[in-house]
Amino acid sequence: MELNNSFKGTGEYVASEQLLSAVNVAITLQKPLLIKGEPGTGKTMLAEAVAKSLGKKLIIWNIKSTSKAQEGLYMYDTIQRLYDGQFGEEGVDDIARYIKLGKLGEAFESDEQVILLIDEIDKADLEFPNDLLWELDQMEFYIHETKRTVKAKHRPIVIITSNAEKELPDAFLRRCIFHYIDFPEADLMEEIVKVHLPDVEENLLKQAFEVFYDIRAMKDVRKKPSTSELIDWINVLQLGGIKAEEIRKKLPFVGVIVKKDEDLETVRQKMV
Amino acid sequence: MFTKFFYDLRDAGLKVTFAEFLTLQEALDKGLANNSVTDFYYLCRMILVKSETEYDKFDMVFENNFKGTHYEPEVGANMLKWLDKSEMDEFIAETERQWLNQMEDLQIDKDDVEEKFRARLKDQDSEHNGGSHWIGTMGKTSFGNTGGNIGGVRVGGKTGYQSAFAVIGAKKYRDFRDDRIIDNRQFMQALRKLRQFSTKLDIPKTELDIDATIDKTCNNGGMLQIVMEKPRKNSVKLLLLMDSGGTMIPYSSLMNELFQSINKSNHYKDVKVYYFHNCIYSKLYNTPECENGDWIDTEWMFRNLDSDYKVIIVGDAAMAPEELYSDSGNYRGPNGGLSGWDWLLLMKRHYKKIVWMNPKMAIGHAPWREAETAVKTLFPMYRLTVDGLNQAMTMLMTGK
Repeated sequence: MELNNSFKGTGEYVASEQLLSAVNVAITLQKPLLIKGEPGTGKTMLAEAVAKSLGKKLIIWNIKSTSKAQEGLYMYDTIQRLYDGQFGEEGVDDIARYIKLGKLGEAFESDEQVILLIDEIDKADLEFPNDLLWELDQMEFYIHETKRTVKAKHRPIVIITSNAEKELPDAFLRRCIFHYIDFPEADLMEEIVKVHLPDVEENLLKQAFEVFYDIRAMKDVRKKPSTSELIDWINVLQLGGIKAEEIRKKLPFVGVIVKKDEDLETVRQKMV
Repeated sequence: MFTKFFYDLRDAGLKVTFAEFLTLQEALDKGLANNSVTDFYYLCRMILVKSETEYDKFDMVFENNFKGTHYEPEVGANMLKWLDKSEMDEFIAETERQWLNQMEDLQIDKDDVEEKFRARLKDQDSEHNGGSHWIGTMGKTSFGNTGGNIGGVRVGGKTGYQSAFAVIGAKKYRDFRDDRIIDNRQFMQALRKLRQFSTKLDIPKTELDIDATIDKTCNNGGMLQIVMEKPRKNSVKLLLLMDSGGTMIPYSSLMNELFQSINKSNHYKDVKVYYFHNCIYSKLYNTPECENGDWIDTEWMFRNLDSDYKVIIVGDAAMAPEELYSDSGNYRGPNGGLSGWDWLLLMKRHYKKIVWMNPKMAIGHAPWREAETAVKTLFPMYRLTVDGLNQAMTMLMTGK
């Protein structure tokens, strides 16, 4: 593998070996990398870390439930054209002036290779991924209004995240490299927390971890606390000057990691 | 390379395609497996498997294909050359000796079997693809008694990695398997498959097409020119019939989840829900309590809910034969002159698409469950799991 374009993790992002190799395989094979995992396992942060580590620009396309594939390619600003038409502005007959490239188009037109993050692709309509197959495969699309083909100058590194809210179409999946981010084990978690909170006290960390993993292990807790919530919680515990031995007894600020009322009740009952 | 592995994966029900398999070959060509079984395992998994629900199946196939491949931190340039290592020859020789000793004990014609054994060993020398597999399964052939020896996998250097077989051994992905009974969100996902946008249907153009209008107007020198289009709406109508009988009580929370998800899925044109007790007869109940009087006529339903409704019947189809076949088999309410079987036949005749979801369907052919087997001949029946519901939804949409 060429060393100048391989991802080794960054100071702020701790990734498992498997994740690192998935990123590098995707880069080498020039295929989109699909990242799935529980919320709060750092799927979005991965793209930032990759961009930083490779020293490339990151373009983020946030997907919403109303997103259409077309928006990522280009938009034809017909309203603006109408306005200009009414007032006899110059150049109204030049449609190209009213074509605005979307995030994907931007990534294609960029003069250097960029990282394109398609964030939470599962939020969009079920057909959304299928509508992008050709574009992601061939790295080009066609603007009907101006009869122009936009072709990637440098094939972007595409990272796609999914929260598994919907299943993605098979045709789309076939083209991706897939990685499922496991919930981090305690060792890796410790590394992750220390990256974010470098001077956390050992004992506090240990106690908080125990409580955290106990809560995650409870079968009747509906929403399991995530990595990012754990980091927030430890930060609050630290700032609040909580003593390590009080954590299990009093469950201070436990609302940071347990957010549903019924879950809070379960946790309190089982811990006390 | 590894064609057997490919077909084994497909046999195990993984939807691995040829294109993905080629991608794997390309990755191997580019040296992405780093001559390590563990890297190879993760590489195969990330390219061939696209859902964590299938990791478990994949693990099993991988284990069957490659277990017994035993490796060290500094293997040679080509992973497959392991087979030539002297260690392996020694191992084979030992196996042979052991086996021959055993055969002697059993006083079997040694020459004959020895010849077969040698032939087999020769085969192995010439076998390129999946050579590792060959050794791996040796434990299972008639040349056996080596099985126990080769199970252990030595893990090489490569800190940070879990050994492939350690991962498989831990079975940590079992919880994700598709055939587990499902929860609310997954139900909703499956139900979303039931969509049929009606732009193609013959309905009036009632929506203003803003983009086209503006475009036309601009081309028209600013003189307004309106363009209309057909609305894009889901035209699927759903009829849900749920068994609320005694044998269904253990599944009440599951039924509740399904009901909730259908209720929350507000993208259908219409949803109707009725309840029945064990089998469908002349009345359908409005509530799961199935109280006499609080019901509609099944015939009324046929008249008012047309044949385009997609029907999901949920029930365990567990009933006594007379409940299904006798015209006085309904011990809880009226039969309406027909047996439950006849009512089901009427259902089948009236509605174009019907599926039956069964939370405790027997796997495979189960003739001892008489009613279930009979109902299966009428309606496609699926287990009430993620897999089952997905298949059922596909059936409702496409008819296959």
